[in-house]
Amino acid sequence: MMVLVFWLLGVSLIVLQTTLLQYLPMWLGRPDFIFIFVAFVAYRFAWIPGLFLVFTLGWILDVVAGIQLGIYPLMCLVTLTGLKLVTNKSPIKETTYQIPLLGGSYFLVQMFMYFVCSLSSPDMLPAWSWGEPLQRTVLVMIAAIPLFLICNTLYVYLQRRQLRGKLPRRRRNTLF
Amino acid sequence: MRKQTKNNQKEPLFASFRVVFLIVLVALVGLLLLASLLGGRFGTPHQLTLDFMGPLQSAVTRSVSGIATLKNDYIALWNVRAENKRLRLLVDKYLTELGEYREGYSNYLHFEELLAFKEKLYFQPLAARVVGKEPAFWYQTIVVDLGRKDDVLEGMIALAPAGVVGQVIHTSEHYSKILLANAPSSAIDAMIQKNRIRGILKGVGEKGFVLHYVLKNADVEVGDEIVTAGIGGVFPAGIPLGYVSKVYKKRRGMFQEIEVAPHVDFQKLEFVLIDPTDRRQILDSMDLSTKR
Repeated sequence: MMVLVFWLLGVSLIVLQTTLLQYLPMWLGRPDFIFIFVAFVAYRFAWIPGLFLVFTLGWILDVVAGIQLGIYPLMCLVTLTGLKLVTNKSPIKETTYQIPLLGGSYFLVQMFMYFVCSLSSPDMLPAWSWGEPLQRTVLVMIAAIPLFLICNTLYVYLQRRQLRGKLPRRRRNTLF
Repeated sequence: MRKQTKNNQKEPLFASFRVVFLIVLVALVGLLLLASLLGGRFGTPHQLTLDFMGPLQSAVTRSVSGIATLKNDYIALWNVRAENKRLRLLVDKYLTELGEYREGYSNYLHFEELLAFKEKLYFQPLAARVVGKEPAFWYQTIVVDLGRKDDVLEGMIALAPAGVVGQVIHTSEHYSKILLANAPSSAIDAMIQKNRIRGILKGVGEKGFVLHYVLKNADVEVGDEIVTAGIGGVFPAGIPLGYVSKVYKKRRGMFQEIEVAPHVDFQKLEFVLIDPTDRRQILDSMDLSTKR
């Protein structure tokens, strides 16, 4: 149930990212909601559902927006793996560090993706500049605050429902 | 106890299943990723994914476009409203201007008529603007903006291009009062233009005039022109007064009763021309003054 709901949320975010956000003016920026979502999945979900969610969403994003097939799933998987490895049994997983860690990982992933793309198709890439990735990173960190809040609220709500469902139900009229 | 043992047996089985599942999943993901990265072909899974996402994107895009259109239409409506307001103001302004121009043109035609009449006159008349009208029914007077300062004297006659207007009865320094020819107290020596038959034209207010003292055997028809007779020295002869509108021939009496419609529209008088000839002096010299 939890995975399905979050998968649908992820799909909605992709739709939102590829349609609605395109209407926003350029100066306002377009934060990468999918990356934020992947980071949230990495923080909250276990390996198997995390892999499933991240790969399928990366795949969809790849189909919808990618030029070079496989880049987006790879980016999502790298992000998931990296964040999961860093935060596994570590105090960095705490809420205080989540946003800075997200920012750092986003910046590194951008560098990594640039490196990968420069290997596969160097002619298609513009020259690397530090300013733009930094700007995007700041934007992602700002956008992550409300999105994390929404996702967290939904996660906690679904988790509570799951737990309530697992609790043994008290039978009526058992005493008398 | 037995239950706990059973659970303990289940847990490693479940853990091993999870590990296997994870391995399978990783292998599958890796395979797909490699196929995508290395193959680079937009295969069936990609096409299916695109077919799945397409309608969702289309729905959102259409909704957003619809909302944007609605917003633009609404803003356009605001602009249209503002434009409409502005245009209405413009229309009002232009209508006012048009009214002024019409009035100007009408005045021009009227002045042209007056000028033509003035040029025909044997004297140099004084043009006076009507500034007031007597509201009472029986007096029928008007006030003009020329007075003694402009050499207007009591007894002078006032004319309009259409005919006789009346006579100056009171003057002040700057204004004069004119008794209209159709006033009940007014009586003018008149004649039927075609056969020179004379009578006394009496004013009957808004109904115009009545021509008295015309014998029954006189040839009078509706439409006959009535002009001043020139007797008495007040009005020169031949100035139009009106035309016969009705003729009554009673059994008894010597005279017929003739209704005369004035040529001058007394309700619409704006300008009058005053003959500056001092009629009183003439009357005095003729020894016909009313003072006697």
